[in-house]
Order: sequence, then structure tokens, then C-alpha cells
Amino acid sequence: MTFYVVRRIAVGIFLLFIMSAMFFTLTRVTPGAPIQVGENPRVHQDQVNRRLHRLGLTDPEGNSYPIPQQYALYLGALLHGDLGDSYQYNTSVTKLLLQRLPNTALLLGSALVIALVIGIPLGIYAATHQYSKLDMTTSITSYIGVSIPSFVLGIYLLLIFAVFLKQSPLHWGFPLFGMHTGGAEDPLDLLYHMVLPVISLTILEIAIFSRFMRASMLEVLHQDYIRTARAKGLAVDRVNYKHALRNAILPIITLVAIAIPQIVNGAIITEGIFSWPGTGQLAFQAVVTRDYPVILGVVMLVAALTVLFNLIADVMYAVADPRIRY
Amino acid sequence: MAQVPPMPLGPSAAGVPGSVPNQISIETTIEQERDLQQPGVKADELRGTPELGFWRLALIRFLHHRVATGALIILGVIILAAVIVPIITGDLYRIQDYRHPFKPPLQSFQHLLGTDDLGRDELARLLRGARVSIEVGVLAVVGYLVIGGGLGALAGYYGGWLDNALMRFTDIIISMPFLLVVIAVTAATGGVRLSTVIIVIAATGWFEIGRLMRAQFLVLREQEFVQAAKALGASNTRIIFRHILPNALAPIIVSATLGVSGIILLEAALGFLGYSVPPPEPSWGNMLNQFEDYLLQNQTYLVIFPATALVITALCINLIGDGIRDALDPRQR
Repeated sequence: MTFYVVRRIAVGIFLLFIMSAMFFTLTRVTPGAPIQVGENPRVHQDQVNRRLHRLGLTDPEGNSYPIPQQYALYLGALLHGDLGDSYQYNTSVTKLLLQRLPNTALLLGSALVIALVIGIPLGIYAATHQYSKLDMTTSITSYIGVSIPSFVLGIYLLLIFAVFLKQSPLHWGFPLFGMHTGGAEDPLDLLYHMVLPVISLTILEIAIFSRFMRASMLEVLHQDYIRTARAKGLAVDRVNYKHALRNAILPIITLVAIAIPQIVNGAIITEGIFSWPGTGQLAFQAVVTRDYPVILGVVMLVAALTVLFNLIADVMYAVADPRIRY
Repeated sequence: MAQVPPMPLGPSAAGVPGSVPNQISIETTIEQERDLQQPGVKADELRGTPELGFWRLALIRFLHHRVATGALIILGVIILAAVIVPIITGDLYRIQDYRHPFKPPLQSFQHLLGTDDLGRDELARLLRGARVSIEVGVLAVVGYLVIGGGLGALAGYYGGWLDNALMRFTDIIISMPFLLVVIAVTAATGGVRLSTVIIVIAATGWFEIGRLMRAQFLVLREQEFVQAAKALGASNTRIIFRHILPNALAPIIVSATLGVSGIILLEAALGFLGYSVPPPEPSWGNMLNQFEDYLLQNQTYLVIFPATALVITALCINLIGDGIRDALDPRQR
């Protein structure tokens, strides 16, 4: 087990290494200079050179480094936790990411928890009451949920809650592109601003979780040991929730691990739409302004998280299911 | 101990009275087994039943799936409209009419769904956008099938370093945020054209079908009928194309169908961010680009139409994909 974990971590680091090389080359061959001020005659050439040198693009005299050398510099800085400087914000990418990570974690964490709390019981109920009305409703809703991308859902939600309901006498209006600025000091305001983005991220995950849980539960319910337990005369609920559930819920661990990068992906546009000041919005703006160090930083962060969560999922799976040995 | 003489094989051995019952010919055994499985049915009757092929049966099962058939009809109407109507209306989608911007829908026959901020006909733009979506969806999926299917098949069949390389590469791509990767590649290849978008999506998204194809080939390669073909001296090419591929197709078709809706949604997200076809060419994604202005100005129909068109198309394709899954593999219901 220890050996397995160590090996997985080594492989993970290797993957991140290759990935950073690929993505780094990609962003560096992209046309477009990082700073256009060089064309401004009022800026001294020395200053431009100093700035380009600080970005790791040229030597102090202003001669551009070849890409492998740029990458070596980047990698050296990366080992010190430095992801380079943003073209746009004039601060380090690490600082930007760390600033915004708590916001994203809050948004994604609550979306994930809500999706699990709603999706899993829904899936269990749908499986134990197959072809019931709720089962049918769940599967139809989950079809629609899977077919709506989170940004379209976000737009629909803004349409309903911020435009239509703002005109209603009840005045339900949720903020239309209003950014949350209150910080953690005003939890009610924070909650108010979280409602729409969390819903738009949750729906898809609820659809996925409930569908998966239903399929997994149905598969277990058709196994021999369940029939044996029923034949022994155990109560149906006891069989369902004690014998079947334990085995059916195990694959969810893997699903959650896969879901995390998926939500992060969805969050890029969702945070942009709802002006939620997280890493997703950072990436969204970086995409619009072509701020490649920031995009690279977000990609590295997401990739590292994916590798990490996959590892955690595999270890947890082995702990939860004694049949699995590494 | 007395030696039992080897019995001659053949029909004559079975009927001989006094012969040892467990030493009977191969043919009689097959007959007997058939009788055991389906008592009362004679061999020639079995041969006489009209046999429906696998694909015929699948088609029949699909058409019995009412939801999927309905979705197929709706999608067919959308595709037909997207192909035929632009031929008649021509350049209507980019003709600007500054005297009539933001004309609400269902007010005049001339602009059935109203006009946008530049006075362009919304219906013509929607249909033109449908063309873009469908074009990207279908062509990129063909790319998935060629790259993913080809590499997956080779990796699954031959194994070795190709298999390892493919799996590691897949690991890398899976752990990257897909949207950002596509955007970065699109930007790096310079400019946004429809062909670039298609190629980039195909080049970065094929791994799911690749994995599926590999898994299929890994399983099928070990099956008896493949071993038999090998023993009979069939070449690798023949085994791959004639023996394994037809058996591996069912899940690939389902995955490819669902892939089309995924690509259409991805293209819309790219268009929304301004990384798909450039204006004046409309796509459902870039029609939503200015949704903030439209919502603030209360021109909600300009947001509702493209968003709903997108969702309906994706939903139809997903339902069709599920129908195909049920039709091809009835056990999975």
C-alpha cells in the first residue's frame, strides 16, 4: 500500500511535469507579445527590457530566450512555488491564485455537498422504487440536466431570478452581475450571492450522481446475497439500507473524485457569468485578455488537484472495500 | 484391465445396439444437445426460421423506443431546416437593418423571431447557427472516431509501448481542464476559424473513444473466435477489420452519438467566450456572447432563443444516444 501510494505520487509528478512542458510550449508559441508598451515611445526601452526579463522571456539586454530556456526558468521558479507573473495584473500568479482559491473552494465545496446530499438519496429512492413516479421524474430531469451546459443554465437562472422575478411584486431579484464584496463579515450577503452560481453548478452534478447511484444500487439489488438476505426474512428496509447500500455507495467515491475537476471546468464560465471572484473567474478573464501565465497557472492547479483527488479516491476505495488490494 | 478399443467416429457408431453410450459421434451429440435445449424442435425447422440480422433487430428495437424516435424526428426537422432554409434566405443572416433593431418576435411576418441589435433576422441567424453547430459536431466526431478509434484499436490489439504511451497521454489530457486546453490550442494555432475549432476539438477530445476502443479490443482479442481466426492463418488486418471491429462497434456508436452533443455544447461554450467562428458568422454560442447587454436592456428573447435551441438539440442527441444504447444492448436497460 505504501509502495503503491509512493509510486502513484511519483507518476503524478511525472505527469504534471510533462503537462507543464506541453502547455508551456503551447502558450509560448502563441502569437501576441505579453506587453505592448514597447511600442509606446514614452516608455524607456530599458524599462521594457527589465520587465520582459522579469517575466522570464528575455535576458537583461532584451534578447529573447529560446523556449526550452524559458521553460527551464519557469520550472525552476515552479519548484519554489512561483508560477510566474501575470501579464495583466503585475503580481505573481501564485498570489492571485491563493487570493481567489478560498472563494472557489467555498463555491465548489457547497455545490458538491448539496449535489451529494440531494443526488444520492434521490438515486437510492429511484432504485428501490423502480418505475415509480419519482423514479421517472428523476430520470427525465437528469436527462435535461445533463443536456444543459452550466453556462446556459447560469444564463437561464439570471433570466428568471434577476430579470423576470425582479419585476414581480415580490421582488425576488437576485443580483444581476453584482459581485460579492462583503467578504466573510456579512454571511447573509455572501449566501445571497452564492445561491444562483451554486444552483447552476449543482444541477448537472445532481443529475450525474442520481443516475449513477440508481444504476449502482440496482446492480447490487440484483445480486445473490441480497436475495439470500431477503429469503432469510429480513425486513426490506434493513436489506436495502444495510446490506445493499454499503456496496452500492462505494463507486460514488471514484465518481466524486472525477466530478471535482469537472466542476472546476464548469466553474470557469459559471464564475465568469456570476462575477464570483474565484479562480474560475480569474481564468475566464485571463482567457478574454490572453493572460497566458494565469491560464497556465490555473491549468497546473486543476491538474494537480485532479491527480491528487484521483489518488485519494483510490486509497479511500481500498480502505472502504477490503476486497481491493494494491 | 481390458483395453477399450477406439470407436470409429461417424453416424454409424451411434445407432449400433450395444455400443457404449458415452462413446457417440460428434454429430449425434450436437443433435442431442439441441433437443435438450429446445425439445420438439427439429434441426431443419431451426434452420428454416427467417433470421433478422443484428442491425435490423437493433433498428426495430430503436423504433419501438418512442422517446428516442421522437427525438430523432425533432433533430431531423432541425437539421433539414438548417440545411434547406439558408439556401432560400441566402445572406439574410448578416444583412443589417439599422432602422429596425430589437424588433420583438411574432410581430411581423418579415422577421418572425424578431431582429437583433443590428437589425439582423434572428430566425435566419438561429438556423445558420444550427448549421455551424451540426457541422462542428459531426466533423469533430468523425475526427474522434478516426484518431481515437484507430489508436485505441492498435493499442488494444498490439499492446506494448503504443498501449503504454496512449494510456499515459490519456491520463495527462484527462487531468487538464478541457476548455482551457482547447482555448490555448486554438489561440496557439492562430486565429479562430471553423476548421481550426473542429481540428482542435477532434485532436483534444478523442481519448474517451480511444479508451473505449482499447478496452473492447483487449477483451475481444482473447476470445475464441479470434483465436480460431488466428489459428486458421488470418492476417492481423483481416482479424482487426473482419472479426474484431464489427463486434466492438456497438458501444463506440453510442459513445460517438453522445460525443456529438458534448461537442456541440463545447463549441457553444467556446463561441460564448469568443473562441469559435468569428462574426458575422453566427453560432449559438456567440449569439449568447452579449447576453449581459440583452438582459440589462430587457431583450430577453435574444437570450432565450439561442440558449433553448442549444439545449433542445443537445437533449435530442442524448435521447437518441440512449435509444441506440438500448437498441444495441438490450441487457443494459
